[in-house]
Amino acid sequence: MAKTIINLDMTEVENREFRLGTIIGWDGKASDLIQQSAYDERSVKKHGGCAGKGLGCRLCELQSPLNQETMCSNAIVQCQIGNLTDCVLIDHAPIGCSGENSKFNLSMHNGLKRRGKPLQNTLNISTNLKEKDMVFGASDKLRRTIRDAKDRYNPKAIFIGMACATAIIGEDIDSVAEEMEPEVGVPVVPLHCEGFRSKHWSTGFDVAFHGVLRQIVNRHPEKKQKDLLNIVALWGTDYFSEMLKPLGLRVNYLLDCASFDEIRQASEAIATATFCDTLGGYMATALEESFGVPQIDAPQPYGIRGTDEWLRAIAKVAGKENEAEEYIESEHRRIAPKLAELRNFFKGKNGIVMTGSAYAHGLISVLSELGIGHDAALLFHHDPIYDGGGKHQDTLKELIDTYGDIPHYTVSKTRAFQLPQLLKRAKTNFLIIRHPGLASVAGHLGFPTLTMGDEHIPVGYEGILRVGEMLKGVIARTKFNRILKRHVKLPYSDWWLSQSDPFYLTNHPEVLDDLPRAAGKEKQELIQASA
Amino acid sequence: MTTKSNSISDPRYSCAVGATNSVVAIRGAVPIANCSPGCQLKQTAFLTFENGFQGSVYAGAGNMPSANSTENDIVFGGIKTLDELVKSTLKIFKGDLYVVLTGCVGGLIGDDVPSLVRKYHEKGYPIVAVDTAGFKGNNLYGHEEVVDAIIDQFVGDYHGKKQKGLVNLWFETPYFNQNWRGDYQEIARILRGAGFNVNIPFGPENNGVKDWRRIPKAQFNLVLSPWVGVRNAEHLQEKYGQPFLHISEIPIGGEATSEFIRNVVKFAGIDKLQSEKFIREENRIYYYYLEHFSEFFAEYWYGMPSEFAIAADSAYTLAYTKFLADQIGLIPRKAIITDDPPQKFRAELERLFHDLTEGVDVQVEFEEDGYLIEKAIDGVKFSSGKPLILASSWELTIANKKKALFFEITPPSSESLIINRSFAGYKGALNLLEKIYSASVGGK
Repeated sequence: MAKTIINLDMTEVENREFRLGTIIGWDGKASDLIQQSAYDERSVKKHGGCAGKGLGCRLCELQSPLNQETMCSNAIVQCQIGNLTDCVLIDHAPIGCSGENSKFNLSMHNGLKRRGKPLQNTLNISTNLKEKDMVFGASDKLRRTIRDAKDRYNPKAIFIGMACATAIIGEDIDSVAEEMEPEVGVPVVPLHCEGFRSKHWSTGFDVAFHGVLRQIVNRHPEKKQKDLLNIVALWGTDYFSEMLKPLGLRVNYLLDCASFDEIRQASEAIATATFCDTLGGYMATALEESFGVPQIDAPQPYGIRGTDEWLRAIAKVAGKENEAEEYIESEHRRIAPKLAELRNFFKGKNGIVMTGSAYAHGLISVLSELGIGHDAALLFHHDPIYDGGGKHQDTLKELIDTYGDIPHYTVSKTRAFQLPQLLKRAKTNFLIIRHPGLASVAGHLGFPTLTMGDEHIPVGYEGILRVGEMLKGVIARTKFNRILKRHVKLPYSDWWLSQSDPFYLTNHPEVLDDLPRAAGKEKQELIQASA
Repeated sequence: MTTKSNSISDPRYSCAVGATNSVVAIRGAVPIANCSPGCQLKQTAFLTFENGFQGSVYAGAGNMPSANSTENDIVFGGIKTLDELVKSTLKIFKGDLYVVLTGCVGGLIGDDVPSLVRKYHEKGYPIVAVDTAGFKGNNLYGHEEVVDAIIDQFVGDYHGKKQKGLVNLWFETPYFNQNWRGDYQEIARILRGAGFNVNIPFGPENNGVKDWRRIPKAQFNLVLSPWVGVRNAEHLQEKYGQPFLHISEIPIGGEATSEFIRNVVKFAGIDKLQSEKFIREENRIYYYYLEHFSEFFAEYWYGMPSEFAIAADSAYTLAYTKFLADQIGLIPRKAIITDDPPQKFRAELERLFHDLTEGVDVQVEFEEDGYLIEKAIDGVKFSSGKPLILASSWELTIANKKKALFFEITPPSSESLIINRSFAGYKGALNLLEKIYSASVGGK
């Protein structure tokens, strides 16, 4: 047996930057990034082969002296494990690390509604650590909170999320988990998701999946469910069921809004697919390697070609090739008139996508189908390969081969200060953004934005039409943003706003030696004089 | 376990490093977050998003510079990363004041942030450093730390004259108290109307660092809050010899607001002529509206709440309970303070709840653990009709269970959008009545 890519014996996950070569800074033509990423070489290596010395080692990465508010792996674990219906997530941390849980509670409320499940709150507890705990250790508080979790919510499993503070003081959550498991009688799962650990938050997805793969997913399923397909997803509306019904398949969504039993049965499914290879790659690959559940090696289900190929690959596993071809043909026919109408509406319009990596590739496919131009894109990270490393999982190459090159392809992790430059060098009528922090800044610059909160909206054939309809409403909001732009000032200097290179501070580090004159100097002296 | 422990379910405050948002509340000020990636998004999510979706301005939210510490910084120290961040922030941001807030990481690895910041300060940049490690306290503690740091490191010493009638308004915690923008405006309007010159450190009527420099010149500090800001006023008293007036109850409604004005005027010793005229005019308008409202109150026959439970921070729990019990006649059945006030303020808070109004006494509880808060509300046997629950979005499910009218008054709040809203003073009281009884009318 070839060596596995994912080692489930360890409690910790190898960061994406080491495992996949993930970068968070790059600027150039998309076709150049494809070449530098050397997907094929990396793929050979991933599967245990040798590709010789070549490009597939390290990608050039642009560093930035200035970073801004962003997300971390710990938050990602909260939005995944914290949104299970019958398991508890303990934030082993000071209280601030639980700050976003209320937002994930709102996400869960929406997700449960979309999936037709009853309303409930998230089951999260903070160990609420204080200064004393930093000095004397916090394991007793963790033990107490594990007992509280059991008594309060009687969960099917208890997860422990590591935070920056607890990682630095060396809290041994693995040992406490092991020690407490017999007492509480349910799996206690340590998750090494401290925020500083990885330069990109998406490592947090892998940490969440790693935990459930090690301790929840059934290692020895007694039966296979031949009509069950795992979809690694977030909170999106259940559009996958209607797409997979013609193939006789039911969907098992992982992980948001899932129950313990739904996760446990992942090993009984016939295959694993996802709406986003960035998100789903780790889970799908581990399920394939260690549980014998194949992953779907296909383009992502966006745009016409992507959706065709995705359905065909699934149909092959399910033995429903004929049904798939019939469905594909009828769907092409069904959407054609509406699509033509939308293409007519969007003639001459341009759009910019700003999201995580593989998902952006999907969204740009949808814009292309709608006839919307896209000379620029901003991705919060670039993974030169995903864990699967499959022949048809090179999502960037798939995008560019199908829909053409992107001249301004920028990789940068939520650095709002670069938006003036990014939006200056490419024409656009709107932006599609995920992750908080950028949309309002783009709004101040006069552009309307679509915050793609329900990530399944663009999926499949109908997804193209759904996005088209939504964008009509978004473009109408330009009126609001034009007015806003006239009255609201960004906090950046005129000098910065006059620049055209978003990575100017990186490419010209010497400018930082020449700071603007201290405006406070005179006043400081005045104050000192008066003292 | 239903007994108290370290555990907190469903948190109602965030941590000290969330005080970046107090910096955002000063016009033209730029926070520099010296913390991990994720810290500021979490704080912003809690304080500005999941709290009436207030949003942010200028260098807040996505624009906020942040060190986003990496493993490298933990191992080798984070000073170089911070230095680059400070330099690039000074290079491209337009700021009148920069405040470096250090979170858990910097505190634990022992980075000497004050020395680095002093280097820039000595070159004349208006920059201050403050230790806001999340394990040191919650966002209210962080807010007080920020205020003291700006006073000590930016405003500096002052030995000049004081201006009679100039008052510094230390009031709600920006972004945390969800109506803070509107409340600051209403209280400032009232104080101005009464004849004061009001210096406002935060919010829509703050003029940036100019106002902060004016702080030492004020005749006195007004702390309008049960406990947040008292520490700052004590510091100002010591530093500038400024007396302070501490009023725990945010005034709501005609009676309370008029009494509030008289107290402040008396303390300051300014002429009563203008304040009494103002009170007369405001009351005339307030009761003009209240007379209209009284028709609904008397004649609406489809039911309205007579009892309520409330769980929020000290300031709002006290202010709303007082107004509803004392001026409207709603019966408080449960009052829970959720912001973990320091022990030394608790006895006074308990007393204030005992003395709410004649014939009404409620034993206020202090609890920040959402699980126990929910249990406490669940345990209330409301007598008849639909009760009213004023709390956070965590209580949406228990409110449904109790078939209660419900709206949010404290973070997290994800069922309402707040732009310009106030429940304080003369005008705010009418808004609060609208909000409560809009929840009762119609087919609900």
